[in-house]
Amino acid sequence: MVRFGRILLKDGAVGINKKLLEYLVCPLSKQPLRFCEKTNSLISDSIGVSYPIVDGVPRLVPTDGKIIETDDALISGGDLPKT
Amino acid sequence: MRRSIALCRRGLRSYCTDAGDGFQSSKLKIFDRHLKRVQRDRAAWLMKPKDSLVDTVAENLLDRLEDCKRTFPTALCMGGSLEAIRRLLRGRGGIEKLLMMDTSCDMVKLCKDAEQQTPNDNIETSYIIGDEEYLPVKENSVDLVISCLGLHWTNDLPGAMIQCRLALKSDGLFLAAILGGETLKELRIACTVAQMEREGGISPRLSPLAQVRDAGNLLTRAGFTLPGVDVDEYTVRYSSALELIEHLRAMGETNALLQRSKVLKKDTALATAAIYESMFGAEDGTIPATFQIIYMTGWREHHSQQKAKKRGSATVSFQDLQKQFGSSGGC
Repeated sequence: MVRFGRILLKDGAVGINKKLLEYLVCPLSKQPLRFCEKTNSLISDSIGVSYPIVDGVPRLVPTDGKIIETDDALISGGDLPKT
Repeated sequence: MRRSIALCRRGLRSYCTDAGDGFQSSKLKIFDRHLKRVQRDRAAWLMKPKDSLVDTVAENLLDRLEDCKRTFPTALCMGGSLEAIRRLLRGRGGIEKLLMMDTSCDMVKLCKDAEQQTPNDNIETSYIIGDEEYLPVKENSVDLVISCLGLHWTNDLPGAMIQCRLALKSDGLFLAAILGGETLKELRIACTVAQMEREGGISPRLSPLAQVRDAGNLLTRAGFTLPGVDVDEYTVRYSSALELIEHLRAMGETNALLQRSKVLKKDTALATAAIYESMFGAEDGTIPATFQIIYMTGWREHHSQQKAKKRGSATVSFQDLQKQFGSSGGC
């Protein structure tokens, strides 16, 4: 019972209304955003910035965004000499 | 690719557009948007549940929806007096889906709490924290954009309006109320006189605001069709100048200029209040403050909208018209 309750609670706090996501784009690049469940954030793949979601409200102010420094970015950086 | 590596090098620093991405640095910055955000946080705490000035403006703006025959299923409401708009909507405009956007987290939270207490019937409300200058809304996605008393704090007003137009669907409506240049003219004078007297010079205490004649140009420049502008002036009476400042704080309309003077001497502040009261005070001891509100309406172009015909496409001469109707009086 307790565990079930916790899952319900978690669903309330984490995540974002899927329908809302259809209306949103990255404020800087105006490209679509991807929802990342692991970090609970919206990710703009085109510029590699993630915007946090707090209490189900996405924070899409450019200054709130964080530049992602992950393996993906490193891989794409490694490609640079070839291009 | 090059872009991504450049971003990598900057490391984990928060993404700031001021950091000279070329295209941003060329723009003129007048307002401190971060300060405005903090001020709006404060306004969310200070705000009274009902503010007669804000409510009047919101009511007046929403009244325009009743003049439209069509309905607006999806609406974006941004900046300024968000909460008043939601509260006073009362089913106008046939809105089914409402996106509420503000830069201040606390303001959004306030709206969210207010919505839980008095939910709007049949309206699905969602909240976004976003900046009007960097609108995070997809192109061609909403039917209506409402901004009530928020856009006058944007550094690039035409740019913000262009983004609104792009977010609108074809034949979508843009409705905005901004403060006009006559706003707080009494305070402007009192501040200048007091500063000259006490400090021997002046610093900008009140922000520059759009004039009425600019509003039409703004709408046309942003590419809206059938632009409409009208102006209203309200005079609010306060019992003292300090109460006026309290009200401005509660509305989040205090000075957010980048080139503001960061100190305000108590001496100067009190002198301003005294000058205000002696220059403009009414006989009954109250002091008036003018608020000029510019209402702007514009539509995104659609083939069904009326248009002026091309030059030279007339088939009837004005002289013939005059011959036909001119003799029988008229004007």
